[in-house]
Amino acid sequence: MEVFGNLAGGFATALQPINLAFLLLGVTLGLVIGVLPGLGGTSGVAILLPISVVVARGDIQGANTTTAVILLAGIYWGALFGGVITSILFNIPGEPWSVVLLFDGFPLAKRRGKPGLALTSSFVSSFVGAFIATVLFTFFAQAIAEQALKFGPPELFAVFVLSFTTLIGLGAESPAKAVAMLALGLLLAGVGFDTLTGQQRLNFGNINLLAGIGFVPVTIGLFGIGEILASAEEQGIGYMEKISARLGFADLLEALRALRSRIRLVVSNAVIGFFFGVLPGHGATAASFLGYGLARQYAKNKEDFGKGEISGIMGPQATADSAGVASLVPMITLGVPGSPTSAVIMAGLFVWGLQPGPLLFIQHQDFVWGLIASIYLGHLLTFILCLMAVPLLAAIMRVPYAIITPFIVTISIIGSYSLNNSMLDVAFTIIFGLVGYWLRKMKYPLAPLVVALVLGDSTERELRKSLIAGQGDFGIFFSSPLATLLMIASAILLLLPLVRLLRARMTGAPVQPPPTAD
Amino acid sequence: MFDSRGAFNIAGGTAPGDVGASWYPFWTATIMGIAAVFVGYTAMVTPQPKEGVFQTRQSVTSVLKLVIPMFLYAASFAWLGFYIATAVYMAFFAWYLGRYKAVGVLLAGLVTPLAVYLLFEVAFRLILPKSIFYTMGFPF
Repeated sequence: MEVFGNLAGGFATALQPINLAFLLLGVTLGLVIGVLPGLGGTSGVAILLPISVVVARGDIQGANTTTAVILLAGIYWGALFGGVITSILFNIPGEPWSVVLLFDGFPLAKRRGKPGLALTSSFVSSFVGAFIATVLFTFFAQAIAEQALKFGPPELFAVFVLSFTTLIGLGAESPAKAVAMLALGLLLAGVGFDTLTGQQRLNFGNINLLAGIGFVPVTIGLFGIGEILASAEEQGIGYMEKISARLGFADLLEALRALRSRIRLVVSNAVIGFFFGVLPGHGATAASFLGYGLARQYAKNKEDFGKGEISGIMGPQATADSAGVASLVPMITLGVPGSPTSAVIMAGLFVWGLQPGPLLFIQHQDFVWGLIASIYLGHLLTFILCLMAVPLLAAIMRVPYAIITPFIVTISIIGSYSLNNSMLDVAFTIIFGLVGYWLRKMKYPLAPLVVALVLGDSTERELRKSLIAGQGDFGIFFSSPLATLLMIASAILLLLPLVRLLRARMTGAPVQPPPTAD
Repeated sequence: MFDSRGAFNIAGGTAPGDVGASWYPFWTATIMGIAAVFVGYTAMVTPQPKEGVFQTRQSVTSVLKLVIPMFLYAASFAWLGFYIATAVYMAFFAWYLGRYKAVGVLLAGLVTPLAVYLLFEVAFRLILPKSIFYTMGFPF
């Protein structure tokens, strides 16, 4: 089969010493970022984007864009694994997707006195979940890309609309807030030159704004500075538990035995996580809650959940990691990011001069298959590192607040400055840091804002190209069966919150909002 | 600047059938406005917590303790450059929030800029802003 040949080529690329070295660097940084409570995967990837530019440019012998994407994706994999360590040992989630590990991970470590088992169970299921997702990725990606190659502007626009309506209909606690955030993102993306007519707009006469508002400084602000400010407020409110753990071979064996008796749960959760993660804007966080819910729903021993049940660790971990991997699928095949973190990686592709989307599979085969192979290798590497280095990673938490907080501010500012050597970008980072903090407090979802910001230009371009092709007639979006189907699906997704509300009114039950995306 | 006349004209662009530059921002802004009305309405009809947005007075000050130095830090880049500003910023936090002794304060102030210098300027050749003393022959 063609896929196996391509994958073998990918492994040949990913196994080159320079690529392996940057993969190791990426996952190690990701693990550290995952452990640090004030720094998340999304901002971690964004901060390291300037370094990835240097790597992609080929300044380092043998490195190219494939090396750069391997580095950035590696950070994501590391962060997916690393966030759970502090959840389990200290009762403090290192990442939004490891919040759910507080329910059963921490009790298993503390009350039942088995921190080693809790950690290895989480790592084992993360690995299996990610592996299954990567296999699905390998076989689905090319097929999706081949279909997507046939898309014209109306179909592409319909795909973008569908990704926005998914964020409104499935993701958000408050659909109105999600709509507001989407529109804000689209507006911010519109600042500067209009790409079709070359007219200036929304720059308020300022020359510096003509180039537009950069995606990276805004994301570093929203996720990096915003998170630091939000966690500053919690200082002194929460208290820290300290459990030390050293993982032994016995823990691994016990976790593998636990996996064997839960293999159906882990596999089915991983598959569900994959298809959930492919949906735009639904990254690992929402998937982890979904995975926990599924594990609990189909368990015979529901009363054990919340007291340190291993299914309550394995279920969500398999789903979260699988969704994390899957969120790269629409980014690579369609140019639509599946999660905020993959939106940042996608922004990286733009900066390196690549166009995310189906053409990558034709023009940059090395890149795509190198990335896919590196996902297999990255998770294996992360898994081994996790088993070996837990005491070391846990020690990072002992770095005092007075050092780590200004340090994160410093690297956030370097990250946003050095992409374009622009002080204006630093100003944007700080402004959007305050904005991000305030939006968090007011419970606005950040995922729609980030996804809309990165897709804004393409959405407008495809919309207007379609309209030009259709001589200004909006009927063009219903001219092909596929575009019509996508548009109808979007309309249904938009109506979903309304249906939920009406049903809640009729039964008198409170509206159950799904958890928001990362 | 924004010209709202084009927003209502479906053939406002230069190519036939194009909606022009202002159509898209206008309607996204309109959608945002409508969403804002919904958000406002929901906020009015649902009960809000009594103590307001911040739980305690302390949570406001802990945020301000971060925000104000951050502003000064970023603003000082133009004169102090990145390295001196970072040294002062890190040392300030070690002294003010960490209450470290002189050695700790000094270490915090020196290690970070040095590490950043080695990683960014030496290893990855990314140039960071220098101070006004740089032109007088000062190394950073």
